[in-house]
Amino acid sequence: MNKSISAAKKLTGALAIPVIFAAVLLILCAANGKSMIANRTGFNYFVLYTAIVMLTTMALSINLNSGRFDFSLGSMAVLASVLSSRISYAMLQGGPGSAAAMLLLGILIGALLGLASGALYVTLRIPPIIASLGVTLIFEGLTFTLTGGKYVMTEVRNASISAFAGNWIWSLLVIAAALFIVIWLFDHTKFGYDYNALKNGQKVAVNTGVREVPNALVCYAICGALMGAVGFLQVARSNSINGGSLNFASISIMFTAFLPMFIGGYIGRYVNEKAGYLLAALCMSMLNSTFAAFSNEVSASAQSIINAVLLVLFLIWLSNERRLKQILRPIRS
Amino acid sequence: MKKYLAMILAMVMVLALAACGSAAPAASEQAPAGDSGKTVKIGVLVADVSGEEALGFANYYRNYIQSNYNVEFSYTEQLADAAAEKAAIEKFAAQGYDAIISFSASDRATQLQTCIDNGLYYAVASGMLDDAQYEQFKTSEYFVGQIGPSMDTEYEAGYAMGKYFADQGAKKIAMYGAFIPNPMHVFRAAGVLAGIGATYGGASEKDAIVGQIFADQGIDLKKVESKDVELAGYFQGFGDTTFDELFACIGAQPDAFLSVGMATTFFTQNLNDAGIAFSDIDSFTSANGEAMADGKLVYLAGKYSSSIGPVFAAVLNAVNGTPVRDDEGNAISLSQDYLVATDADSFQKYAAADQGDSPIFSKEVLDTIIGDVSYADFSAAVAADRG
Repeated sequence: MNKSISAAKKLTGALAIPVIFAAVLLILCAANGKSMIANRTGFNYFVLYTAIVMLTTMALSINLNSGRFDFSLGSMAVLASVLSSRISYAMLQGGPGSAAAMLLLGILIGALLGLASGALYVTLRIPPIIASLGVTLIFEGLTFTLTGGKYVMTEVRNASISAFAGNWIWSLLVIAAALFIVIWLFDHTKFGYDYNALKNGQKVAVNTGVREVPNALVCYAICGALMGAVGFLQVARSNSINGGSLNFASISIMFTAFLPMFIGGYIGRYVNEKAGYLLAALCMSMLNSTFAAFSNEVSASAQSIINAVLLVLFLIWLSNERRLKQILRPIRS
Repeated sequence: MKKYLAMILAMVMVLALAACGSAAPAASEQAPAGDSGKTVKIGVLVADVSGEEALGFANYYRNYIQSNYNVEFSYTEQLADAAAEKAAIEKFAAQGYDAIISFSASDRATQLQTCIDNGLYYAVASGMLDDAQYEQFKTSEYFVGQIGPSMDTEYEAGYAMGKYFADQGAKKIAMYGAFIPNPMHVFRAAGVLAGIGATYGGASEKDAIVGQIFADQGIDLKKVESKDVELAGYFQGFGDTTFDELFACIGAQPDAFLSVGMATTFFTQNLNDAGIAFSDIDSFTSANGEAMADGKLVYLAGKYSSSIGPVFAAVLNAVNGTPVRDDEGNAISLSQDYLVATDADSFQKYAAADQGDSPIFSKEVLDTIIGDVSYADFSAAVAADRG
């Protein structure tokens, strides 16, 4: 009996935020004669955006949960997508299989870039935030040099990538695969046990024989691989790569993951944290689709402000949760 | 170990600084032996380095003009604002360049003043100064002139495009405003609204619509009123939310998607995949030809790549001491019209006439307006129908 109550509580806790998001946004759309997802095309891009946010959130959280702030995630995604698009185009000239080739190459190149970023951090032993700023500039510079600051278009405009973006099943498969691999790696392997031990008590873990440096390097490589996949998904969404991102312009890719990371962390109290990131990504995708439906009324800058306000409100809630619950208790009873 | 670390850090710094350089003139191409002793060095200001039109123009200057004249072109990186334009001109001046040709429109008056201050000849190859600016600078010896579609021509191009779709029976359209408040895009967008029979803020006259769009820095859908054609979606610029806005427009299932610039660069694939007929004001490049033959591009008002030949000729004349001026000694101001293709055949007619190695403004044609040439002869050569 207790077990079933606990399961129900978990389910309620996990779904509360997504359901509230969906209810508020759907009512908002209905009241204004809009639809959040107008048709099949809208749904395809909805699932694709969910995949982008979920993978970026996972990549951000892996290092951030261990106290390593990584600004270079966005630049990693862009550079990996430039390199993987060039190589896959050279191999297949945009023919059948281009999407799969670019995705796999993107993951591989992303992992190598992540490893390089991690190697720089563990070798230099400077604060990770500083190391990642340097890496961001290097990756952005390399991207600019490779592309001449131009948009990459020829290499990423083909029927294969269009077919990927045009069917939500592919995005769903990416979500499922990423979720399965990340849960397996972090919850069911020795690497994952070490990671969790280091996350929860670095000194104790190191004293008990956990090797911190290799663990950090693998974390960076996994983040890179996830961002390599994000680079491909971004390409599928926009059919181009902006090669002209300089002076930390790529950081905005990473910032899209902050709100879902905190929401996912909250949902993670009730279910597996990675599943929490999926539900949080779903919330962000609903918000994004609603913004799109209201794009004629809400400007891009207003959207950024709304996102920032939501993030601040959620952080206020998290910081004062106990106090707010105490205040609400008499009202409830 | 410390030595290696220091070396790595130094390399990181050098790479980072190289990456951060703003709008530095890109590496220039080596000019082959020309027909005069000194190589003329021309800096080209660009705000777009990826668009079909921009690439076509760059190919013409770099591949055709540079191999036929003793001239060297250096292109800037993508110039984001007036400060970047000014900095780029000053860098060109410091490197001993002779002239500037501008495709960038953030602040033409400042560009021109900077050129005058640095003794560089200056010409506008895309868009035009407004009337007040032209009056201010037209007698300056360093202002070579402006050759390209005038703002009236831009408005007419937008009007014709809007009217085309209205006449075709479109009842619901979506629109991309490109980079409003760029004046060229403002005038085109105003033309589109007038062309579909819409009023904007109650206004139906060109100047009133243009004035309001400038004031709004975009198009406010609440101010658009149209009896026959509904404007169901609108967006502009290019940033993080652009594709969300595009997908929202696609979701509105419009009969057509009208763009006043750059849609063929950014959205061709999405619009083809969505099966939505679209139009643009761009140029006659091979990629646009494919979009018209096999995709959903159904209307293109365009320039051909060598349409920027005369402005090069005018700059060369000025540098060589034989500037082309009108009877009152003013700088050149000539408008060029757009050509319109609505199917693959008409597109091919224009595209075929302007191939890379045999452009419409070929060396033979340009040679007739290079040297000591009168304003009347120059303008007649520019105006001649070569489409």
